[in-house]
Amino acid sequence: MTTAELARPYSSSPFARAKAFLKRHWFETILISPLFIYVFGTTLIPVFASIVLGFQDPPRGGGFPSLESYRLVVQDYQFVSAFNNTLIITFLSVSLELLLGLMVALMMSRPFTGRGIFRAVMVLPLGIPVVVAASNMRYIFLFSGYLNEALIDLSLISQPIDWLKEPLALFTVAISDMWKVTPLVMLILLAGLESIPRELYEAAQVDGAGLWQRFRHITLPLLKPAITSAVVIRGIDAFRIFGLPMGLGVGRTVPVLSTFGYYEFQRVYYTTSAATSTILLVMILVAVVLYIRIAGTEEITG
Amino acid sequence: MSTDLPDKTRKRRLSWRKIGSKVGFALLVLVVVAVTIAPVYFMVALSVMDPSEFFRPHPAYFPTKFTTQWWERVLASEALYPAFTKSLIVATVTTVIAVLISVPGAYAISRMAPNIKYFLILSLFFTRMYPEIGIALPIAVLFLRMGLYESVVGLVLAHLILVLPVCAWILVGAFETIPRDLEEAASVDGASRLGTLWRVVIPLAAPGIAVAAIFTWLLSWDEVTYARFLTLLHPTLPIQILGIIGRSGPTVVATWATIVTIPVVIITYLMQKWLRADYLAGAVKG
Repeated sequence: MTTAELARPYSSSPFARAKAFLKRHWFETILISPLFIYVFGTTLIPVFASIVLGFQDPPRGGGFPSLESYRLVVQDYQFVSAFNNTLIITFLSVSLELLLGLMVALMMSRPFTGRGIFRAVMVLPLGIPVVVAASNMRYIFLFSGYLNEALIDLSLISQPIDWLKEPLALFTVAISDMWKVTPLVMLILLAGLESIPRELYEAAQVDGAGLWQRFRHITLPLLKPAITSAVVIRGIDAFRIFGLPMGLGVGRTVPVLSTFGYYEFQRVYYTTSAATSTILLVMILVAVVLYIRIAGTEEITG
Repeated sequence: MSTDLPDKTRKRRLSWRKIGSKVGFALLVLVVVAVTIAPVYFMVALSVMDPSEFFRPHPAYFPTKFTTQWWERVLASEALYPAFTKSLIVATVTTVIAVLISVPGAYAISRMAPNIKYFLILSLFFTRMYPEIGIALPIAVLFLRMGLYESVVGLVLAHLILVLPVCAWILVGAFETIPRDLEEAASVDGASRLGTLWRVVIPLAAPGIAVAAIFTWLLSWDEVTYARFLTLLHPTLPIQILGIIGRSGPTVVATWATIVTIPVVIITYLMQKWLRADYLAGAVKG
């Protein structure tokens, strides 16, 4: 279907170009419209409304624009701790998920007996609802939970550890998140691994490259696009983490930005809740741009 | 496997190392499997564990005495059925609408020139960057005013925001695996473009559409952020569990958790054969 190919933009004015594009792609445009209108209408408008709301100041008679909500939020020690916790949890969980996901993907990229069962088991957490994952993690990480039991039985510790108290709770949330979503990272990386041509490894082996050298100079560079998508997809979700801390019962004691924003909403402080989500949005944007920049420059220099 | 080839040409002295690495690999597989299964195992075990084995200083790892009392208590709970039904209806309606909107959209995206395709996928994907609480907040305020708060319609509308980009993303990957030659052949035979899509492309993409539908259903069934903002007295099943976690004992919570998980495990098991990595690689390939 050659009509589906992109028309070369011969016309100069953007309007004429858009018209030519529509004429050529009218069928595609009709098919795409409902999807894009719904997705953008229901994200851009509420987010815009949220941003505007954050700059309003109803307690003082509706001044706009006002930075009152931001002042209130920044002075709130709960917010400061939520801000730091969000950064730490995101960093911890994304690094752990990437490392483990890569390890499991590499294990799965070579055939062995029972690989089918292994694969079926590994994707199991993908299907476990977040609240269930969280409540399951409680039996393990509670003060009288199975982790403490096992560590005491193995005489690695003598006193039970409170895994749900700061700062250890950050680690617990990251580990719980890792359990739930490493399969997704693994699947993305596995798709990347399978697209690397076998001949490259064979050629490298003929040239005498060892296992580590093959990994360092073939697997890693060629896996980079997959790693980038995994990091960006997971990073964005980790910044917005909500269900796990709520389900672990640490939404209030170890706040992250999403839970802080929710509790502000629950107390009918709509403006500070909106300011929190705007700050979170800016954080995510900055992180994604920074990551793509760093990963991009590495590609040029490395 | 390519890595095995040169080993065979080498001498026997490597065989001990080979056995060692095989045993090490097997151990690694076992550890990874154990860690993955453990949380799910304890959930199911607790839901049938006798109180004498759990409510003691050192709860049993492997229950020897079983009870159905937790299941009886939860199944008799008044809170279960409304929440279960609500989640079931919301997830199913969301899935049907999401597939109806995404299939044509994703098909069109998959047939665009690479640079436009990449731009469209990325722009869909970037909508997931907005913090959900920032979207949920004004929507909750609006729904409160419109009387849609707590309603199935409101939840479906909100869940669509979340699932549409993912559903479309998986479908683009699925449509890309279908060769264009088939469509060209159909159009030479005089089929209209809509006819080609309906009679040629969609049947071929059926497994991919099934995967997208199942993923969508699971996303909606699991969802907590929007549901937390949009319901209070009539929650969905996951929100019901969030409330119960703080109020009930571990065994009762485990039973609730098992109930939410059962449909999910059945569905995940059924879709195993379709769960192909290349459907999830749509954005990776660009």
